[in-house]
Amino acid sequence: MHDLNRLPPIDFDGPAQFELRELHFAYPNGHQALRGIDLSIAAGDRIALVGQNGSGKSTLIKHLNGLLPVQQGELVYQGQPLSGDQLQQARLEIGVLFQDPDDQLFCSTLYDDVCFGLLNQGIALETAEPLVRRSLAAVGLEALIYKPSHHLSYGQKKRAALACLLAMQPQVLILDEPTANLDPGQENILVELLRAFQGTLICITHDLLFAYELCQRAVVLDKGQVHHDYTMAELVSHPPSMREHGLDFSFRLAGLSTQEMPAQQACNLPPETPPSIVPELKSPVSAVVELRDYQFSYPDGTQALRGVDFALQAGESVAIVGENGAGKTTLLSCLMGIQGGRGEHLLEGRALDKKQRQLLWRKVGMVFQDPADQLFCASCAEEVAFGPRQLGLPAAEVARRVDAALQRVRLDAYHDRVPLHLSGGERKRLAIATVLSMEPELLILDEPTAGLDPQGEELLLEILKELSQTRILVTHDPFLVAELTQRTLVLHRGQVLEDYPTAAFLADQNQKALNLLAVGYKQVRSREILELQHQHRHSHRHRHLHDHPHRHGDLVHSHPHEHEHDHPHAFTHVHGADSAEHCHRPLGGFHEHNHPGHEAEEHTHRHGDDGTSRD
Amino acid sequence: MGGAELIHLPLPVLLGALLVLAGCWLLALKMLKLALAGEQEPQQERDWSVPVIDAAAGGSSIFHRWDVRFKLVALLGFAFLVVATRSPWSALVAICLSFSAVLLAGLPLARSMRRLLAMSGFLAMFLLIMPLTAVPRPADTLLVFSGLEYLPFNLRGLQLALAIIGKACAVALLMEPLLATASLPRTIEGLTRLGVPEKVGQMILLAHRYLFVFLEEARRMATGMQVRGFRRRTSIATLQVMGNYLGMLFVRSFERTHRVYDAMQSRGYQGRFPAPAYFAVSVSDWLLAASWLLLGLALLLFDRLWLGGV
Repeated sequence: MHDLNRLPPIDFDGPAQFELRELHFAYPNGHQALRGIDLSIAAGDRIALVGQNGSGKSTLIKHLNGLLPVQQGELVYQGQPLSGDQLQQARLEIGVLFQDPDDQLFCSTLYDDVCFGLLNQGIALETAEPLVRRSLAAVGLEALIYKPSHHLSYGQKKRAALACLLAMQPQVLILDEPTANLDPGQENILVELLRAFQGTLICITHDLLFAYELCQRAVVLDKGQVHHDYTMAELVSHPPSMREHGLDFSFRLAGLSTQEMPAQQACNLPPETPPSIVPELKSPVSAVVELRDYQFSYPDGTQALRGVDFALQAGESVAIVGENGAGKTTLLSCLMGIQGGRGEHLLEGRALDKKQRQLLWRKVGMVFQDPADQLFCASCAEEVAFGPRQLGLPAAEVARRVDAALQRVRLDAYHDRVPLHLSGGERKRLAIATVLSMEPELLILDEPTAGLDPQGEELLLEILKELSQTRILVTHDPFLVAELTQRTLVLHRGQVLEDYPTAAFLADQNQKALNLLAVGYKQVRSREILELQHQHRHSHRHRHLHDHPHRHGDLVHSHPHEHEHDHPHAFTHVHGADSAEHCHRPLGGFHEHNHPGHEAEEHTHRHGDDGTSRD
Repeated sequence: MGGAELIHLPLPVLLGALLVLAGCWLLALKMLKLALAGEQEPQQERDWSVPVIDAAAGGSSIFHRWDVRFKLVALLGFAFLVVATRSPWSALVAICLSFSAVLLAGLPLARSMRRLLAMSGFLAMFLLIMPLTAVPRPADTLLVFSGLEYLPFNLRGLQLALAIIGKACAVALLMEPLLATASLPRTIEGLTRLGVPEKVGQMILLAHRYLFVFLEEARRMATGMQVRGFRRRTSIATLQVMGNYLGMLFVRSFERTHRVYDAMQSRGYQGRFPAPAYFAVSVSDWLLAASWLLLGLALLLFDRLWLGGV
């Protein structure tokens, strides 16, 4: 799998759309981000650009759009170097979807934002207007055409940013983590839109299921070099290679039932994989926290919670799910004491008044979706010490807790590092450490794995499984719900729609009775990848009975005949998670499949009176 | 207090007047809250944004149809003439004119009232401070409250305060038909056509757009600190934490600036926003502008010649 000079997997005739030769780039601080990139991209290619943080992906796409100048090497677009007039022209033909849509929607209304690129292309306003409307209609936002972008939800902003690019009818679309922070519904819409795009697609993502759905080619970067350039199928079917680059997401496939695999050859199936290991529910002695008939309305009249009844027992781990606007964030704010509504709010059986609610931070800790929202100190140690200091603990105890919390999240040697300079996964773990150091009785996690690469996700999952605290998890990820919780609370328009065991909730998801989490294409692709990862080829002898023209010396004729072959077949095998041993059904008896060149081979078989024959 | 007329009053009169003033303010606040609050279904994500300037830009009133350049010149000119008046009575007439403009533009009154209410706390100070600090002149009337003889209440100061408050309210009310009846980019484009540097216009537009993002980031970070036990106190530790908080906000904003500029460049930005040709002048634009300026001039003349200005 490590052919560094392998040819791209997709053949193309004619000149390449992008041709990169020996491209090097170093930032002013001396960091060498690209080291001799050689890459050819054909028109219509669909490429997933993957690799660990710092591998040079973002630097590379900034070159493709001319945002960074070529320092050394060559970058050719449509046959000409990407500079001067060609650069200006290229920017109008190459669309870049940035990770944060707020960066891309800089005008006062959606109309102006979509119009911006079109007018820069020199299109007259009268011609541009129908294009603006068509683009916004394509992403389902035509009704919001004159709205300022800060009135949109995150998913709507993402689609609006895409509409800004699609209106310009780009030949190349470059996407930077397009699915980060999107809920499943919005992600499905985005996938549909990108499927319909006809031009060249280059996608930076940690979400390999998304990449597998949209891209045929995978370019793996490592330390500023192209480490692999092959098909997506080749990448996802080889976990060791993915693991080497921190991309192995196979742990997410472990829970899939092989009985549902489409592979026809799978056999001797072991008993179905047992459900994920979750912490045992402690005896329900007292509710750590409880809400009774809880209502909350915002000052503008929006009723966010309506008669919520919810009790959380000590040691329990509960998932809260629901669509955007269902009231999840408000519920968390109320549980944290940030917001106070009507109804009873009890902690360990005692009703809380306003003053006591303000002290809830001593017992309840929360990890935000974006770790940047809770990191503001100059070093990791200071960051983790902030909470314990607010608790008024002595310096020795603060130091002990800092060491313990950093150790727990595998950041032992990070005391003096600047939080701002850490990778996304490290920042998330640091955010968890800042809360763990306060030793909360209840831990609230809001989309803990959002934006993490698979390696970061796996490590975080391992850390979260080790925690003993009572937990509330807000997520759209069915895998996390299954792995980390025993109970699920479904919120809908401020009300508790369901409150039942996670197993029952997941069954509802699979039966589409309550489709809140499942991303349809991901389930299908997961199974395909699982099959790819378990496919290999064996040669074995087997018999065929078939009818085709064949030759005996000078005689050519056709009749049904039987003979034995020895050639490789693809198998999908099954085995335990920790075992390399596997089994698959031997193919006995007759079977039929294509036999290229078989007709031309010399046939030696006896001919009976009925015309049939045997070797 | 050489020559000034003195009127002695018991202290409860002053206290009563202050109570009535505070009561009116609280009542207005309560009524406005009730007017703005309406039962809403939680179908969408909550809108955390601050109110936008051009929320009512989609109307069809005379102000909406008015060419934005003429509107800017006429209404800003009128505002300057209003500010030049001296009598509270002129200010009252100006308030009536501005109020009529709000009605004519079909703008929601609650929004205008909210703007006035936002100013009211600051303006109310004038009502108290100016009468107590105005230097007495021979023709002044001073109210002297028992027990507070050393602090006379000058009615000329009160008149001055009322004039200032009236003019401030008139101009604030006028800002609604001026800024809310066209989209902000259009208004800024109008300013650019009138000679305001293009870069300034672009900066205003970008600042207006990212103000909302910045506030949201600041709010989330403040919540992040709050849930880890931070409370603002008068201590060095609080200053350090606030320094870190502001520093981090600055770093985040700085990084965002770079990203926004990259996004602009990647869609063909070369130093100026493409400006669609919005403007077409008609006779009614000229007439309307002339009418407002004449109205302002008439008000000034009325103030100076008829009322004599204080």
